[in-house]
Amino acid sequence: MIPATISDCFLLALETHMRRTGQGRHLAASVLVLDASPDPAAITAAAAALGQRHPLLHAHIRRHFPSLLAHWHPGARAAVPVTWHEATADIHSLTSQLLDSSGIDIFRPGPNLEIHLVPATSGNDCHLILLWPHALFDAVGIDLLIDELAAAPGEAPARSQPATGDSAAALPASAAWPVAKPILEEMRGFPAHPVRSLRQARGPAGAARFKVIHFDTAATARIRQRMAATAGELLLLPYFATIAARAAHAVIRRRHPSPDPAILLSIPVQRHPDPSRRPLFHNHMTPWSLLLEGGELMDPASGSKALYRKYASFMRRKLPAAMDALMGLMHRCPSWLYLKPSTHYLKGELCSLYHSHTGSFPARARMLLGKSITAAWHVPTVSSPPGIGIFFSESAGQLHTTISWRENTLDTAELAILESTLRADLDPGPPPP
Amino acid sequence: MEIQLLTLLREQILAPDALLDADSDLFAAGLDSMGIMQLVLAIEDHFGIALEPTDLSREHFQSANRIAALLRSKS
Repeated sequence: MIPATISDCFLLALETHMRRTGQGRHLAASVLVLDASPDPAAITAAAAALGQRHPLLHAHIRRHFPSLLAHWHPGARAAVPVTWHEATADIHSLTSQLLDSSGIDIFRPGPNLEIHLVPATSGNDCHLILLWPHALFDAVGIDLLIDELAAAPGEAPARSQPATGDSAAALPASAAWPVAKPILEEMRGFPAHPVRSLRQARGPAGAARFKVIHFDTAATARIRQRMAATAGELLLLPYFATIAARAAHAVIRRRHPSPDPAILLSIPVQRHPDPSRRPLFHNHMTPWSLLLEGGELMDPASGSKALYRKYASFMRRKLPAAMDALMGLMHRCPSWLYLKPSTHYLKGELCSLYHSHTGSFPARARMLLGKSITAAWHVPTVSSPPGIGIFFSESAGQLHTTISWRENTLDTAELAILESTLRADLDPGPPPP
Repeated sequence: MEIQLLTLLREQILAPDALLDADSDLFAAGLDSMGIMQLVLAIEDHFGIALEPTDLSREHFQSANRIAALLRSKS
C-alpha cells in the first residue's frame, strides 16, 4: 500500500463529489500528434514494459478504518491496454467518446492508463491519446510517463523516481492548526465578495464537454509578443490566468450583471522545485485560491498586474504552506464531507473556474516510438461547481487552449462569448498590411 | 550581490543541490514563472528593490550576474 498524498485526497474528494452528483469520473486525456503511425509491436512492448515496471498503473484507492487514511493498493504487473482505432478526421469527438466510455475506475483494481492510437484520414499523422485519472496523476506525472514511453525498450529514464510518499511536510495536528489558520481566515473573507461560477443551481451538470483552440506558430508568436508588451515576457502564470478569468467573467456577468461578479481562481501550483525530479505518480500540487474583483479585470494588462500582486501577497503571507497544512488536517476527512465547508461558505460555489498553464508539453520528449511529436495538448475534465476550466499548453511553438465544461453549464451563445473573449485577448490577429 | 542571489536561488527557489555559478543559465537550471515570482519577492526582502512585471525579461533573468546588473541599475 502507498499512502495517498494530501493533494490526492483533495482530488479524491472532487471525484467523490462528481460521482455523487452524476458527473462521472474525473479523467483527463493527453493527445500527442505523431508524424507517422508507430510500429504496433513497439507500442505493445512499451505498454507491457510500463505495466511491469509500475503496479500503480493497476492500483485502486480506498480509505481504511478506523484511521480513515486513503491508500493506493498496487495492482497486477500487467500491460497497459492499447487500442487501435479506425482513421478519423475528428480527433476531438473521438477523444470525447473515449473519455465518456473509459473503463478507468480508481475505486476498483484495473488499468489506470489507456493508450489509444488513431491514424489521421489524410497524410501520415497518427494521434496517440492517453487517458488517465486525475487522482493518480497530474500533468507533470503524465509528462514523466511520456519520458518513459519515449525511452528505448528495456531502459527506464534515469530521472524516474519511485512513488514513495507526500511532497508536503507532514505536521501533527497541534502544529498544523496554527500554520493553517491564515488560509482559513482568507477563505472566510471570500463570501463578502459576489463569487460566481458557471454552475447551474438547478438540474444535473451533465457529461464532460470540451473544445480545443489551436494557435499556429505565427499566432503563438504574436501572443507571446502581446504578453511581453503587456505583462513582461516571463510572467506566464498571471497573464494567462487573467486571460482565462476575463473570459469566464464575461459569461458570468451576462448571467449575473449585478453586482459585478468576483472571480475566484483555483490554480494548481507544483510543490517540487524541479518537476522532472519528482515522483511520476500522485498529485503534488497546492491549490492557490486567488480572488479578483470584476473591476480588476477591465483589461489583460491591469488584470495581470492585479493578479501578480495577489500571487505575491499569497506567497508573502505564507498561504501556500497554510493551504498544505489545511489539506494535511483534512486528508482524513471522509471524501463526501471534504468540500462541504467551502461550498457552504460560498453558497454552493467552490471557485469560479479551474485554470492551469502547463508550459511546454511534452517538456522533454521530442520523439515517441521512433516518431516525431508534432503537437500535443491536454483535455482535463472538470467538476460542477465551477462547471468550467480553461487550460493552456504549448508544443512546437503552438499554443493550445482547452475549454472544458459540463453539459448544461454553458450554452452555445455563452461558449461563443467565452471563445471570442479569449481570442480577442490572446490574439486579435495580424496587424493590417 | 551575486553570491547572495545564488544562495537565495539554491535555498528558496531551485533544488538545494543545483550546481550554479554566477554565469549559470537559470532557465536551464529550472527557473520557471513561479520561481521568478518567488525570486522577485526574495529580492524585495533582501535588497529592498521592488521590480515591476516589465523588468522581468529573459535577458535580465538569464543568470545571477545579469540579475545583479539589473538590481544595480535600479538601486
